Amino acid sequence: MTPRLRTRRSWQWLAGAGSALLLAGCNGDKLPQARVLPGEDGPGAETPPPPDTQQPVDECKNAVKDPGRVTLHRLNRAEYDATVRDLLGDTTQPGRGFPADDHGYGFDNNADVLSMSPLLMEKYSTAAEKLVDAAWSRGAFATCALGVANPEPCARDILSRFARRAWRRPVTPDEVDRLVAFVALATRHGDKAEAGVKLALRSVLVSPNFLFRIEKDPDPASSAPHRLNDFELASRLSYFLWSSMPDEDLLAAAEAGKLDSPEELEAQVRRMLKDPKAQALVENFAGQWLYTRALDSAEPDKTLYGAFSEDLRTAMRQETQLVFREFITGDHKLRDLVDAPFTYVNDTLATHYGLPPPGSRTPVRVELSTHRERQGVFGHGSLLTVTSNSDRTSPVQRGVWVLEQMLCSAPPPPPPDVENLPPPIEPNMTMRERMALHRSQPQCQGCHRMMDPLGLALENYDPIGRWRLQEVSGAPVDATGELPNGTVLRGSEDMRRFVKDDPKLPACLTEHLLTYALGRGMSREDECAVREIAASAEASGGRLSDYILSIVLSDHFTMRRGETEAQQP
Amino acid sequence: MSKKFQLSRRTLLRGAGALMALPVLEQMLPGTARAATGPVPRRLAVFYTPNGIHMPKWTPTGTGANWALTPTLAPLAAVKSDLLVLSGLANFPGLPDGDGHHAAGTAAFLSCAKAFKTEGTDFKAGISMDQVIARSLAARKATRFASLELGNDAGKGIGNCDSGYACPYANNIAWAGPTTPVAKETRPKAAFDRLFAGFDPGASQATVEKRRAYGKSIIDFVREDANSLKTQLGSSDLRKLDEYFTSVRDLEKQVEAIEADGPSCNPGTAPADNEDPRVKTKAMMDLIVLAFQCDLTRVATFMLANARSNKVYGFLGLSGGHHTYSHHQKVQANYDALSIIDRWEVEQYAYLLQRMKGIQEADGKTLLDNSMVYFSSEVADGNSHEHKNLPVLLAGSGGGALTPGRHVRYNGAPLANLYISLMQAMGVSGITTFGDNGTGPLPDLK
Repeated sequence: MTPRLRTRRSWQWLAGAGSALLLAGCNGDKLPQARVLPGEDGPGAETPPPPDTQQPVDECKNAVKDPGRVTLHRLNRAEYDATVRDLLGDTTQPGRGFPADDHGYGFDNNADVLSMSPLLMEKYSTAAEKLVDAAWSRGAFATCALGVANPEPCARDILSRFARRAWRRPVTPDEVDRLVAFVALATRHGDKAEAGVKLALRSVLVSPNFLFRIEKDPDPASSAPHRLNDFELASRLSYFLWSSMPDEDLLAAAEAGKLDSPEELEAQVRRMLKDPKAQALVENFAGQWLYTRALDSAEPDKTLYGAFSEDLRTAMRQETQLVFREFITGDHKLRDLVDAPFTYVNDTLATHYGLPPPGSRTPVRVELSTHRERQGVFGHGSLLTVTSNSDRTSPVQRGVWVLEQMLCSAPPPPPPDVENLPPPIEPNMTMRERMALHRSQPQCQGCHRMMDPLGLALENYDPIGRWRLQEVSGAPVDATGELPNGTVLRGSEDMRRFVKDDPKLPACLTEHLLTYALGRGMSREDECAVREIAASAEASGGRLSDYILSIVLSDHFTMRRGETEAQQP
Repeated sequence: MSKKFQLSRRTLLRGAGALMALPVLEQMLPGTARAATGPVPRRLAVFYTPNGIHMPKWTPTGTGANWALTPTLAPLAAVKSDLLVLSGLANFPGLPDGDGHHAAGTAAFLSCAKAFKTEGTDFKAGISMDQVIARSLAARKATRFASLELGNDAGKGIGNCDSGYACPYANNIAWAGPTTPVAKETRPKAAFDRLFAGFDPGASQATVEKRRAYGKSIIDFVREDANSLKTQLGSSDLRKLDEYFTSVRDLEKQVEAIEADGPSCNPGTAPADNEDPRVKTKAMMDLIVLAFQCDLTRVATFMLANARSNKVYGFLGLSGGHHTYSHHQKVQANYDALSIIDRWEVEQYAYLLQRMKGIQEADGKTLLDNSMVYFSSEVADGNSHEHKNLPVLLAGSGGGALTPGRHVRYNGAPLANLYISLMQAMGVSGITTFGDNGTGPLPDLK
């Protein structure tokens, strides 16, 4: 049982919320419990820690250092496609035809939920054949001549080079011998040596050494932490920053034993972030963390929000991607995502937002000093659309998004059968009146008093991200939200300031980034590490690159351990 | 991009391909593992639909043979005599801890096993009944594919899937084992190509044997790789490696099945990929029919959408999402929207049944007569998340295993017992219990 880290977050500052019901999980003197099995030795069963992340550092000083472990990690579709692109120069993206990867803890690179299935294996096998044939036709392997009389030396050369890159580590002589044996097999069947080499290449691509990122434990049953070997570390690094295999530079550094040095690791990180391949962080990390990917399936109500078009969908996606991309190599603090004073719009999106059109069909960087309502991700149409229902805004969804993705203090899910609790909604109610219903129910108010105000403060943005002063019914928008501690948020600007000033923000950014970097969910055992990484990232300047470096240099990233027992629920 | 399927030489020599919906000549039957004069096989298809059903417009009043179609079941008029409406069944293993009814209900949909509540690590449910059947058929080397998993939705890919329950619970109904969801194919064209690939019309026996040998050599190679990893991995890793071994074994069966001749039935043209749910669902239904007709598999599961789907059915004149409507809060407008969606779902199921009813088999009966086609959802009412009084339909005679044309009322009997009956009908031997609460076959199906 791995309780989520956030179940530790105290809702202490909700004290006075006044719910006497244990169901709620958001009342002041109880931790959220709904994510934890009753009867488990989970956080619900113990006394709550002091509020939020400001625990005394001593508690972490004396904590046992445990880097945790990552389960055998199958390449997901994005990683597979990027890897064959870099390995073979193949840009056909065969992964798009594979069954979808499940996601866990918010990301589809979570090793525990990435399963292997017969269907997927068939796809790998088919893809390998196509990839090898196409690469062969392109002359990718024409580095030597497979002579008729003695093809073996050339075959050995091709196969040992390829396997080293594909398996992201040195290959043993025995492995190369087994690969070269395919040449003899082909000859026995009356085929040319070429056919044998192709079979061997296909085998490399269907081998677990290619399909999985393998990290070995000297003693799989020991929980003593040990350092990853240089090749395992190189792969962690390249799949974190590029969603792809290590390049020659990184592989050579691993072979030379250089990755032990923090200076070398830092130099590699800086080099890799400058590489166009770092776009993977935009698509795979930010695309999921900021929910941008959900834009693909957003379907605003055509009658009410017919202004939403495919051009707009594309422009919104580009906006968030381009803004995040500036954070990868730029000098912005990561926290500035909340209120960044610039964005990227084309004419379509600018008009939609009520900004002056820049006179361009492609996105252009614009300053937002005079349009404060568009500053930061909460002004992005992408986020505002995917956290709305198709026909109306959803302060609850928006509030939960902020708590979950920015502050890592999302409340537990509602108690069972909560749907029968509220009195029916009258169609002509204003949003505020609807939200007030939550507070009329003791089972609901504990959590909703935290979620709703954050969402209500964004009520000036309609379900497709346009600025508005009136609800659909014509009622004036009232974008104020009162937090449980009495703080009143008057609109989006107050709300942005509130989020940006929240001391939980750095640790939460770290938690999401580390979840993605390691491909595993965070648990309570990781809390001290998350806090240390966040503190060191902020101390070095708080840029995304500082967070990434802080993660890469941490024990969590460079070490692992075995398992003491079979983890069977 | 449609590829005309090439008929195998053997079929061409016989002078014609069997056309769909026409009587199949005996010698045209697929030559897989059974004599042309042997019994026609039984098949099982599963049609899953998410978010429950608005039951007041679903449940018929009369019982036995004396019952009338309800507004939601109206699209089944043409196949009413082929239909069993089974009311009052319950699947309590689908109850979650706290909230998470959709994921927990979907994980238990075919497994009747309670899903362990986790967002990722250590997820665990149970083997699903379709996979029990698939395993038994595979042991008998019945068909080229042990089972076929299809679905319309790949998965939403962001956030959490359902209240602290891991996404595999929400996105799969087929489970090869407690920790092994069986991925589904969500692209009709890819599914078609997979069903009809691997044949090499006109190839000599020597060429076919060579292809088999090559395929086998790759499998031997990667198996050795996997074996050499075993000693250096922890228990969680070994679970993943086991999935790999299982998948390799399956691939091996595919390789062994490489033949010069394809299935001796005419699959027609590959469907084009189209994301319109109307077009896509129809294409998926056609694929199930084709796979059964050509005896490429005898077990198929289909997910109309994933658990908790909030799909907006704009073409039905609706603007809200399905899951949002299903939390109807007793508002009539939501009931109306739900009934529209429910009826559309039933129409898709009716299309499948009618296609199957239009295909005659070698024993003179229809494909539907020789099949059992199951329809249900992970909950009944989507607002109260009931796991009892589930909306259950079962069509076809299952080669004599069922007596359709009736409405049968049960009083809370476990769904697992229905599955025991279905598994027995599909020839699984020695199965008397199933899941968390299956105690024996369900009475009154015949």
